[in-house]
Amino acid sequence: MKAVTKNGVAVFSPQGFLDGNNTSSFLNIEDVEAAVNLKADIILISLKKVIFFNRNGLDTFVKLFSKIRKKNSAVVGFCDYDFNKYNAIKKFYKDEIYFSLFKTLDIAYLFSSSFKNQNKTILIYSSDNSQRSAMAIELHDNGHNPIIAQNEEDYLEKKSKEGTYDYVVDSTFLGQMGQKVATRVTGNAIVYTVSDFLDVDITDKFNIEYHNNSLNVGFRLFIFDACKVISMNVHAINFFSRLASAAAEYNATICFAGMSFGKTPKEFKETLEDSGILFYKQLDDILQNKELLKELGASSAANIKNKRALNKKNVSELPNFIDAAVVTIEMMTNAKAIKESVEIHNLVIDDKEDKIASSIGYYGDIDGMVILVFPTKIAQKACELLIGESTDDLELVLDTLAELVNIVGGNIKTLLSNDNIDVNITLPRTYQNIDNLLEVIDNRKGVQVDLSFDDNKFLFFLTR
Amino acid sequence: MITKDKIDAFIEKIPPTPEVLKETLSLLNIGELTKAAKIAEGDLALKSYLKNIVNKPIYGFANEVSDISQIFGILGVTLSQQTVYNYMISLLSPDKWLLFKLNSKSFYELQAQLSKKWEMILKHLEINDKNIYGAISLLPASIIVSEALFNEKIDEVTLLRSTKALDYNTILTRLCGVGLFDICEQIADKWEMDQIIPQIIQSASGLKPSDDEMINNLGKWMHLLLFYELSQPLFIEAGLNDFVDFQVDYVADIYDEFTTIMEIG
Repeated sequence: MKAVTKNGVAVFSPQGFLDGNNTSSFLNIEDVEAAVNLKADIILISLKKVIFFNRNGLDTFVKLFSKIRKKNSAVVGFCDYDFNKYNAIKKFYKDEIYFSLFKTLDIAYLFSSSFKNQNKTILIYSSDNSQRSAMAIELHDNGHNPIIAQNEEDYLEKKSKEGTYDYVVDSTFLGQMGQKVATRVTGNAIVYTVSDFLDVDITDKFNIEYHNNSLNVGFRLFIFDACKVISMNVHAINFFSRLASAAAEYNATICFAGMSFGKTPKEFKETLEDSGILFYKQLDDILQNKELLKELGASSAANIKNKRALNKKNVSELPNFIDAAVVTIEMMTNAKAIKESVEIHNLVIDDKEDKIASSIGYYGDIDGMVILVFPTKIAQKACELLIGESTDDLELVLDTLAELVNIVGGNIKTLLSNDNIDVNITLPRTYQNIDNLLEVIDNRKGVQVDLSFDDNKFLFFLTR
Repeated sequence: MITKDKIDAFIEKIPPTPEVLKETLSLLNIGELTKAAKIAEGDLALKSYLKNIVNKPIYGFANEVSDISQIFGILGVTLSQQTVYNYMISLLSPDKWLLFKLNSKSFYELQAQLSKKWEMILKHLEINDKNIYGAISLLPASIIVSEALFNEKIDEVTLLRSTKALDYNTILTRLCGVGLFDICEQIADKWEMDQIIPQIIQSASGLKPSDDEMINNLGKWMHLLLFYELSQPLFIEAGLNDFVDFQVDYVADIYDEFTTIMEIG
């Protein structure tokens, strides 16, 4: 069974009956490894479509969870259950639960470091005091505003206030959490929360894919909230120095906020400063200072001084890139796409009104970025297969457009691998208006292909 | 990806009911088991299929049964008709399965398991209508239709399904406005099956509950039975577990009874 991965959460969805005889048929270690390769930091089994399970059935999954945990630090567990199923699992495993339980998939997303939709107000309730605190800390580190209900009465009272909370988290249990560095986006800055001792493990804990993706899509300010860091060793110093050098290529800035050097040699700070890292006393010193934010590059989505030209290698693979986009759009719309023109120039969008866009980067043997620009109505049509109905909900369309461009990215990866070109794809990014896109593209040249299907036009742009 | 034209072409290609089967079924309909067996003997493929299926362990015969009149005699009118319907559906199955990891042996196994357990359910519900017994035969046609329509688009479908948990029925319905079970209904019409059969199948999709209480109830039992079977290792490994969407709420009220009959606990 293959997992569906979104927002860094990979979900396997078995249906029907789970017992000791069949669970190993649902899932094997290769399926899980494939999910891990998709950079999932939470791996879950959904119980939504499961009508029966027993302890033997869950045990197979739990053993598999144990193997995953040993190999990497992904969070593992179950999601999408009702109160009875939740109680049954708690009863089966009593005090031996090291895996996590998320009442719904949406709740699981809140705990994922790859979830972009942050700053949510979340009501938390658990009868276990330590669970309440653990959830609040995790959610806070991920950029949300957790509100804890102290007891059931308090919970019911708070919950009854309609519209106060974006999410209500109950019947949820955090087992061993992943040690991935928590990430949140604040305006045009990315904030990573690091804590305790920073050593060689930082290379595993830090989501470098996410970071590279953020650089590729135009983020220029990265802040490490280090107020909970006790000390760091030379391996961590090397890691951050490398990160700073890579960021310099994009003219990006890396800052540390709240780092105390009480237990870390002062020379380490100098080494980091030499590599271009800036230090501030606390996070708000940066985030609340608009002038400083502007100076550090967070006032604009893009600020690339050294624009890279589209090279021959990318252009020679152009048919693959176009095919990947065309095949996907054809699949989504059931209509034939026709190529109208191919030209190399800056991105030209005649009419910017009522258009939305999505981009995905690729890197490896070759690197670059594919951008699709649609009239909003056409994007809605292209997303209908995934959404299931026509909708005017722009947020939903943008979210689905990201899934669509993710399929384009998957197709690109497959088609290039046929030519023995190995690339990875970044997370997709969507643009609610064309000005945001143009700011990111920042006058870069690329190959622009105008395409149409059923007399509807859309635009493909390949750049670096 | 899949167009209405492709669906129409698939329906068009379905051959009419072969004369031997037509005659066999009409004789079974009037209870003429011996005459029906004699006609069925003329179709070697049918003969081989019947032998194959009734000698599966689930039928529980101590000795091998090979003679058609003996098979019809043991099965009786109702189950003989059901088995002939199963054979008709198997005629639609591909020589080589690509989308699902199935072969003729595992497909026949699925048919046998569904048929035998459907019989258990109908006995429990005290239903003795041969058309309702035969209805289960049409259910696996949904698998054959999925295979036929999607087998040329495996890579695209795999990529799509890795992004969003969509079953084949949903993909087809969203693309063409026609679902797998609608196509099964068209197959039933083409083969002049009794009207109640496609009605039960539509209800068994879990998405189109019937206004007729009895048909709706049978649909629930069939839907749950389908997912009970698709939870068996052989069929999970064949990729069938999530080929259509399981509607847990639809079957909630018969679940306890079902677990008693199937001795699940």
